Amino acid sequence: MGEELRIGVYICYCGFNIASKVRVEEVAEFASQLPGVVVSKAYKYMCSDPGQEMIKQDIKEHRLNRVVVASCSPLLHEHTFRKAVKDGGLNPFLFHMVNIRENVSWVTEDEDLATEKAKALVAGGVYRVSGQKPLQVRKAEVRPEVLIIGGGIAGITAALNIANSGKKVYLVEREPSVGGMMAKFDKTFPTLDCASCILTPKMSAVASHPNIELLTYSEVKSVDGYIGNFDVKILKKARRIIETKCTGCGECAVVCPVEFPSEFDEFLGKRRATYRPFAQAVPNIYVIEKIGSSPCTFTCPAGIQAHGYVALAGARKFEEAFELIMEATPLVATLGRACYAPCEEECTCNELEGTVLIRRIKRFIADYYYAKHPKPPYGPAERKSNKRVAVVGSGPAGLTAAYHLAKKGYGVTIFEAEPQPGGMLRIGIPEYRLPKDVLDRDIANVTSLGVDIKTNHRVESLKRLKQQGYDAIFVAVGACEPKWMGIEGENLEGVVGCIDFLRDVNLGRKTNLRGKKVLVIGGGNAAIDPARVALRLGAEKVILMYRRSRAEMPAFPEEIEAAEKEGVEFQFLAVPRRFTGRDGRVTRAECIRMRLGEPDDTGRRKPIPIQGSEFTVEVDLVIEAIGLRPSTHPFAEELALNKNGTIQVHPETLQTSLPFVFAGGDAVSGPSIIVEAIGHARRAAHYIDLYLQGKDISVPNFEELLPMVDKQEVLKRRPYPMAYSKPKHEISLEERRTTFKEVELPLTEEEVVAEAKRCLNCAVCSDCHQCIKVCPADAIDYSQKDQEVEVKVGTIIVATGFKTFNPERIPQYGYRRYPNVYTAVEGERLVNSSGPTGGEVILRDGRKPKSIGIVHCVGSRDRRFNEYCSRVCCMYSLKLAHLLKERTGAEVYNFYIDIRTPGKGYEEFYHRLMEEGVHFIRGRVAEITDWAVKPEEEGKLVIRVEDTLAGVIRRIPVDMVVLSVGLEPQRDAEQIRRMLNLSCSTEGFFLERHPKLAPVSTFTDGIFIAGACQGPKDIPDTVAQAGAAAAEAMALADKGFVELEPNTAYIQEELCSGCHICIGLCPYSAISYNPEKKVAEVNEVLCKGCGTCVAACPSGAAEQRLFETAQILMELEGGLHV
Amino acid sequence: MYEPKIIAFFCNWCTYTAADLAGVSRMKYAPNVRIVRVMCSGRVDPELVIKAFDLGADGVLIGGCHPGDCHYQNGNHKTLRRSVLLKKLLPQLGIEPERLRLEWISASEGEKVSRVCNEFTEEIRKLGPLKREVKNAG
Repeated sequence: MGEELRIGVYICYCGFNIASKVRVEEVAEFASQLPGVVVSKAYKYMCSDPGQEMIKQDIKEHRLNRVVVASCSPLLHEHTFRKAVKDGGLNPFLFHMVNIRENVSWVTEDEDLATEKAKALVAGGVYRVSGQKPLQVRKAEVRPEVLIIGGGIAGITAALNIANSGKKVYLVEREPSVGGMMAKFDKTFPTLDCASCILTPKMSAVASHPNIELLTYSEVKSVDGYIGNFDVKILKKARRIIETKCTGCGECAVVCPVEFPSEFDEFLGKRRATYRPFAQAVPNIYVIEKIGSSPCTFTCPAGIQAHGYVALAGARKFEEAFELIMEATPLVATLGRACYAPCEEECTCNELEGTVLIRRIKRFIADYYYAKHPKPPYGPAERKSNKRVAVVGSGPAGLTAAYHLAKKGYGVTIFEAEPQPGGMLRIGIPEYRLPKDVLDRDIANVTSLGVDIKTNHRVESLKRLKQQGYDAIFVAVGACEPKWMGIEGENLEGVVGCIDFLRDVNLGRKTNLRGKKVLVIGGGNAAIDPARVALRLGAEKVILMYRRSRAEMPAFPEEIEAAEKEGVEFQFLAVPRRFTGRDGRVTRAECIRMRLGEPDDTGRRKPIPIQGSEFTVEVDLVIEAIGLRPSTHPFAEELALNKNGTIQVHPETLQTSLPFVFAGGDAVSGPSIIVEAIGHARRAAHYIDLYLQGKDISVPNFEELLPMVDKQEVLKRRPYPMAYSKPKHEISLEERRTTFKEVELPLTEEEVVAEAKRCLNCAVCSDCHQCIKVCPADAIDYSQKDQEVEVKVGTIIVATGFKTFNPERIPQYGYRRYPNVYTAVEGERLVNSSGPTGGEVILRDGRKPKSIGIVHCVGSRDRRFNEYCSRVCCMYSLKLAHLLKERTGAEVYNFYIDIRTPGKGYEEFYHRLMEEGVHFIRGRVAEITDWAVKPEEEGKLVIRVEDTLAGVIRRIPVDMVVLSVGLEPQRDAEQIRRMLNLSCSTEGFFLERHPKLAPVSTFTDGIFIAGACQGPKDIPDTVAQAGAAAAEAMALADKGFVELEPNTAYIQEELCSGCHICIGLCPYSAISYNPEKKVAEVNEVLCKGCGTCVAACPSGAAEQRLFETAQILMELEGGLHV
Repeated sequence: MYEPKIIAFFCNWCTYTAADLAGVSRMKYAPNVRIVRVMCSGRVDPELVIKAFDLGADGVLIGGCHPGDCHYQNGNHKTLRRSVLLKKLLPQLGIEPERLRLEWISASEGEKVSRVCNEFTEEIRKLGPLKREVKNAG
């Protein structure tokens, strides 16, 4: 600095704010002695016009070239004084502000110490300003578009104001409709005008305004950039309804079977999974709520819409339910009986009273449908292709694949080696679990489509089949080859494999076992079936022998239990070593006992023979049920097989090593469950179709499920189990032992509906497809996905509103314990003519209240919860008191601490209420109880309160209690705060830049706040604030640019070593390396002025304007010098 | 009684605002703390800290936004990393590492400003004046 320093120092009294603790004249005197200071004054209010004028005058008069003002926080008045300095003819950045109010006088007890501290800070300021340099403000363009977050009355008002000025607005609302909290109200205080009547026209105006782009059911995901140029990413949640097509007719909601508590009605009413929150919703577009996949549907390997048909059954839409299952498989009744139901294992109700009996619901659906339609009500499928497909095997996989391929328009022929179709369903599953006429009816679903089943036809060569004119082949030959133990005597007559035994019985070649002793060997489901069949064939004794213990048995527990009940004898920890016989017939099994050793590879404990424990069992028949192998040996030449005999397939498309051959079912997976096979078949049919059309099948495109819902989240909807006893209908044990009658009896219709109603509707939408069928506009699109929209805006208005206090936090008020205790918002819905009760005040127990208590200040003005007053509760309580009295004629009591009615017409309203005969009792309610001590309290809720005016404890019995809950920040206010870099006040509401002078600005330039997200406020104040925020945004947009602090970083090239350290640290990628000069360079447009690079620069080449190291050091020197 | 001098580098967005809140709320705290405003705690160069000790500070307090809240994305993380290194370096200069303290104070935590300033002042008071051989020699 060549020129001589001429510093002016101004110490502000700030009335008494500073002067009561800091001896300002003494500080001014002190400052006048500091180096370079030519003027030093103290003045009452530096920020006032005369104060500023004084600075301007002095600059001219004393030729000042630096100015220091010691007053309040620079966050408050730095701009004011910079402007004064500029008006005085000096560069505004040759000024420094010292904070001796917030940092000194207001926080220091002792006057001497405060004065000392003020002197130190002023000295720091004077030293610092000496090193300051003239700077130019940066200008940044401000885009005219405005983003408004939140579509309540604040967002709506701001949006309309801005849009009317001709600027583009993006209004983002996370609910399906705009309207916010106000839309829930019936009347508004104090004028009692109808909330909808004043709100809905504004809502429609928002939707139809050409300058407003309304994004409902959407959330702002991220905001980048800076004032004037924000990059905003908005997540448009999948509505599953095409917005441009939906006419809002509501046909979809009529048919939707999923009932759900309505959030909009505060859970007092119901809505469907397809819904709009309320009748006047804007936009008038429905939404299908789907939060993932329900566990049952997600788990089903067959891809059956389990949740969907349960929901339809709950709505008694059994035919529709049947058709829904038929979308996946024709084997509806079979699955309803013989499926091991993995869905039930995943059912969220398992965490409560037990799984919904999904399989038995399916059985009812099938039985119901088949009773109505003994034959399929449709004829052959339309041939859309002249191509033909051969299906080898008529088990569940073969039948399902044939069904789908026929529906897709192919000519399909099934080849079956056995004399009757059905595969394992026919030969493996005993009649008492799956009656054969039921299976026949399921198979008719396939044959009716024109599928030809050639029985007694074993396919030996796939290539030959192809030559016979089949364009593709699906191999689903199953796993029906028995495995043998490989011990002596297995060749004796009377030693059979389980599948051979069952095949004979199931195909009608019944064996008489009367008086015979039967030994079944094995521990899986395949062992249980022959054991139970043998009993029914009259066997005197059936022993099931398993080499491990009961705990290791792979059979399902319910199967084991059933077998045990029927009289099967279990011998655990034993194994036969050889069979011996007479005349070639088996008579004895020589066995040995086992003990369990260490766990083997499968995790089960390995059985080890106990030497010397040999024993023999007298037998007439031995059934070995130790496992099955795939029946794939005929194709060993043509197809690539795995070691275990299963067919090698592409995991996604199920295509085999022969391109025209696909395979599925047990032949691919090894012995598995029916639904697995069906799942294979559906997938294979899909890819066979693509293959035959000559399309690319290398990219997976078979149906894709949403991820499974979080069960813990679902359980929040109904955290407690309901009273429930599982319906168990079985035929008598006697009948079970002697006949092949179906063991399980069907559920009744009422039981089915009750079961379905227990469903928690985990994913909300059940995928029942009903809405697709009825939508006249063809607007339903289940495949719709969440979408990300990117917009650029210049300014942002945050109007995210509030949530209400949860009164469960005050247990003594009994909310949720006593059904007739309501929150005020619930009360709003009850008195609302479009509410769940049509405006009639009907309590949860069906009564109409004759006396009502309204408890004020619930969660407000209470140090245990929120210390602040929620401002609106007194007035809305008065309004509710009026409405409740008007609707019910009940006696209404208000329990208040203080009545606060500061507002236009508010106090008058309070008087009106008193005149209407509403009772007012002053005192904070201690407890709400149903414990009656007097006869008149029986059946009532008793409000215990100290009447602080009368000085007595009172007990007021009432029928209904309304808790006037306070206002709290939105549950995700913290996330919004972080995303937008806002600050919050202690209670969590967004912090305004200044409570009086900048009430809608924030500390982030270009972002404004309006409404209750800033703090509790009523509708008039909210609307006023929204207007103010709109005006702020418009002012910026109209000006078209902002002046930015010139606090950017720069590199002193002569010092820069080109080490790159700063480049990696810059959060805005504002620094780059100039390879020619071999130095770093700062892009000023991108630099936001944090100074991180300066702190990191090892050579001191990086510097930050306005915060130069030398300047800060001078401030330290001055401050520490004193 | 010995009155230590403490320099507090507070970031503009969180901690400086919190100090304003402490003021507005009239929360009293030790006058020993002199606040120097920087835009981000990430601007606090180790050089500034060492120079502050050299120039007569007995303690240095750095206040920044809570992790994840930084107005400049992650400047406070860099401060954290630097302060760990700096604390290792200070003993080599004959300065007890306790004389440097880093605190995360958000804009709503006026009370924390007052508490931290009081605590830190007491701690430094217990440590006594910083022995400044360099300075005395100079």
